[in-house]
Amino acid sequence: MTDDKDVLRDVWFGRIPTCFTLYQDEITEREAEPYYLLLPRISYLTLVTDKVKKHFQKVMRQEEVSEIWFEYEGTPLKWHYPIGLLFDLHASNTALPWSITVHFKNFPEKDLLHCHSKDVIEAHFMACIKEADALKHKSQVINEMQKKDHKQLWMGLQNDKFEQFWAINRKLMEYPPEENGFRYIPFRIYQ
Amino acid sequence: QEPPDDSEAAGVRSAEEVIRYEYHVLYSSSYQVPVLYFRACFLDGRPLTLDEIWGSVHASYQARLQEGPWDTITQQEHPILGQPFFVLHPCRTNEFISAVLRGSQGQHRQTNYITLWLSTVGPVVGLNLPLSYAKLAPEQSTDADLL
Repeated sequence: MTDDKDVLRDVWFGRIPTCFTLYQDEITEREAEPYYLLLPRISYLTLVTDKVKKHFQKVMRQEEVSEIWFEYEGTPLKWHYPIGLLFDLHASNTALPWSITVHFKNFPEKDLLHCHSKDVIEAHFMACIKEADALKHKSQVINEMQKKDHKQLWMGLQNDKFEQFWAINRKLMEYPPEENGFRYIPFRIYQ
Repeated sequence: QEPPDDSEAAGVRSAEEVIRYEYHVLYSSSYQVPVLYFRACFLDGRPLTLDEIWGSVHASYQARLQEGPWDTITQQEHPILGQPFFVLHPCRTNEFISAVLRGSQGQHRQTNYITLWLSTVGPVVGLNLPLSYAKLAPEQSTDADLL
């Protein structure tokens, strides 16, 4: 793993320049300026857009604001997909910055999972990690870790702390010397 | 004063109290167990929130739910339909299923895995299997007792 550290860092620090615009039908008290942000490819929309939410809520009335959701060219964006995946699926052939529309009304119940708190994102992220380890190590490595290790993995992602994250993740990426590799290599294909 | 007629009293609130559940049984290749996916809406079409789903878990299972709600029932994307469903997490399925299977094998009893699994997990989320399922004849196999 140490040989791959450069690759690991490049993957971790990948960013997509994004322009957030408020949906035109949202009711505002004054004009909403677009908001620009570099989004981490490996993170999740609802984890990294607190500033976006605050920016647009400043020009809206309290009662007009409910759960935030994002859309690209009419398609609701699934926050539970990593940002890099969303970009590659929807907008990889278009010019940067990526233009995302922000909504606070008419949450699309049939398309998107709800995300009322960071706990939801943490639960989703940890479920993915656990399922991957079920394939790699029959869940042995993840189950042997203490709760604080799980927390450190999550906090590393949430706070963009490469070293903190990989201090724990490297254990999930090891295999016992007597084995030639993982039992199965987990990957997901999206189209 | 006469007590209110039950059906009448229920009728006043029934539009918001009646919940329509839809259950799907899927297979998790990663955990190699069946998984229960479900959706729930009120009659007016409003879907239940995660909090409402947690609240509707049968009283017998509330203690277990409170120990780790995020490990038990969450909203996830249906792997085939791509739509939001609630899911009863499969992580612990193997633990209790193997215990029961060991017991029934010891008595040389035929078991239908799905009936066994669904009758155990279903009630947690409102799906009560009629007892008639227990009488379903499993496939007859003379080899079964030798396993």
